[in-house]
Amino acid sequence: MKTPRLSPQTLRVLEQFAERPTAWRYGYELSSETGLKSGTLYPILMRLAKYSLLETKWVMTEDGVPPRHTYRLTANGMELARAKQTTSRSGVRVRRTAFSGSKA
Amino acid sequence: MIPPALPRRVAAFLLQSAISIAPRDTLDWGLAMLAELRHVQGNWAALLWSLGSATVLAKHALLSLIFPSRNRPTIPSGGDLFSKDGPMRRPALAITAACLIASLLFFVAPVFRQAFRVSLLPWQIVFQPDYRRLSPELQSIVKKAEQDHDAEALAFVAFRHPQSSESVRLADEAVRLDPNLIWVYAIVAVRASSLPDRWVSTLERFDPQNALAHLIAAKKIDIDLVLRDNVPHRAEDEPPAWQSAMAAAFKSAKLDTYSSQRKALDRRVLLRYHLGDPALIADNAWFYGLPSLSDADRYAELILASAQVLEARGDTKAASEKYLAIAHFGQLLSPDVSAWWFYEPTEQAYTRLAALAAKSSRPEEAAFYAFLADPKRRTEAQESSFRHRGFRSNQVARWDADLARRSGAVMLLSGALLLATLFAVFLRSRLLRLSSLRPGRLAIALGVSSSAGFFVSSVILRLSYQPYAEVLQHFIRYGDNTGLTNLRDFLGHAYAPIGSGWLTPEQDYLSYFWFAVIVLCALALLVAVLRYFQSRPRANATI
Repeated sequence: MKTPRLSPQTLRVLEQFAERPTAWRYGYELSSETGLKSGTLYPILMRLAKYSLLETKWVMTEDGVPPRHTYRLTANGMELARAKQTTSRSGVRVRRTAFSGSKA
Repeated sequence: MIPPALPRRVAAFLLQSAISIAPRDTLDWGLAMLAELRHVQGNWAALLWSLGSATVLAKHALLSLIFPSRNRPTIPSGGDLFSKDGPMRRPALAITAACLIASLLFFVAPVFRQAFRVSLLPWQIVFQPDYRRLSPELQSIVKKAEQDHDAEALAFVAFRHPQSSESVRLADEAVRLDPNLIWVYAIVAVRASSLPDRWVSTLERFDPQNALAHLIAAKKIDIDLVLRDNVPHRAEDEPPAWQSAMAAAFKSAKLDTYSSQRKALDRRVLLRYHLGDPALIADNAWFYGLPSLSDADRYAELILASAQVLEARGDTKAASEKYLAIAHFGQLLSPDVSAWWFYEPTEQAYTRLAALAAKSSRPEEAAFYAFLADPKRRTEAQESSFRHRGFRSNQVARWDADLARRSGAVMLLSGALLLATLFAVFLRSRLLRLSSLRPGRLAIALGVSSSAGFFVSSVILRLSYQPYAEVLQHFIRYGDNTGLTNLRDFLGHAYAPIGSGWLTPEQDYLSYFWFAVIVLCALALLVAVLRYFQSRPRANATI
């Protein structure tokens, strides 16, 4: 798969999803974990969903309380998150080598 | 004291309001944000959550207005998946770049730069607190003229210097360098608030038959009286020196305001120094060459009163001489159509002359004077003067000036918006390479609209200024000054700050209306172009 260009904030969201790939996550929970404000988080979620990298569903949590929207990465989304994680780690390793002064 | 629950209530209200304006495809997301709001810990945190969410929904609502079909299903390639640029990016960037380049090309032409400077005249009044300062352009002319001993250029600046003392100094220097330019004193004296005593006698010796020197002498006496706070309320209370100066003016053989010499000198200096600023040419002094409009009127009243006394005493010969003196001065003024204001005393003088001729059994003479006293002649002269001087507001010039100054304002606004958008895009990308920039849809919309606004306003400015650029060029190249009154009217209106309602307040609403129509049409055209590009079939629309 061709690797898309991702913003650091999107990478952070993907990392959070990748930590518990099968779990359905709430928006506020993701916001707390990534430190992203709602104005940044939701456009990312909307774009991920638009490109079928994220699946969404409404769930009832308790009686009398409106349902909550929950999110989980699709298979494509998971593949992208893993690919990005790999690229990110290798990038970090290369940079460390370069700046540490040690031989490659 | 703010109730603890108030921020949360405000947050809920804000988010519900945002949901109500959100486009259909983001409704679910709005409800999701609202549902999460219940779980946000802390009332102020809930308000911040709501503000961020409402911003997202508002942005989508705004974009849906500009790109109504932006959510149609497309499967983009992996490369531009997260670039936030979508299919609009290339055509939009092409439009932005084309508009910007075309607008900047306008600036290559000197005429357009001149037009742009004219469009900024309203701001000059607002942001230039010291109106007594000479413009940098004229300052450089003074410097060069003093170095080169250029008497004509010094006179050129003396006519325009905002400070009387400097005008006098420059005029003196010009005359010292070229004694043939003594008439320059008259031009400067007409507009200066203070002038040396020796100027009047010099002018009288230079051109003894000209009434202008005597009128200037009377003006100088008036200024001295005003400075001493001793202004006479009636003409008969004026000092004898003023009365003898006016008497000499009324007896003079001619009245020459030296306007033709001045225009010729101005033209030579414009050519020599390659000047193209219209404000340097079409100033009011070109059209108002007399020092005071009221002195002649007041003196005529004084003569009329004394002539009536003589008439009552039976001295008709002496009375006729006085009436004829007024008629003679009226004749001196008559070539200048701006002297319509003197028709009333002239008319009265002719009426009395007709009556005296009838009494003396000279019917032909009486009929002739009665013809000259006909009020229709005054009305015709007044109409002619209004037409000539543009008192009946030159509508075309006013419209053109309105267009020019509004175009200038739109150019400034569009330029600022475009720069701000570019700055935001660069700041967000943190890269200076054009290929690395990923503008969002909002940035694209702002960039396209501001560059299109810049371009359209540049075109309007160029077109609205074109006739006046031609007037200016005709004058500089061929000495043709027929259109200069239009240029003066245009500049007069261009100086008025937008929205100030100066000069023609009753017309401002109408021009605002049409300006709004033009702006709305331009926006509609822009949206139509954007929609066309967005709805165009694309190769990668479906797979």
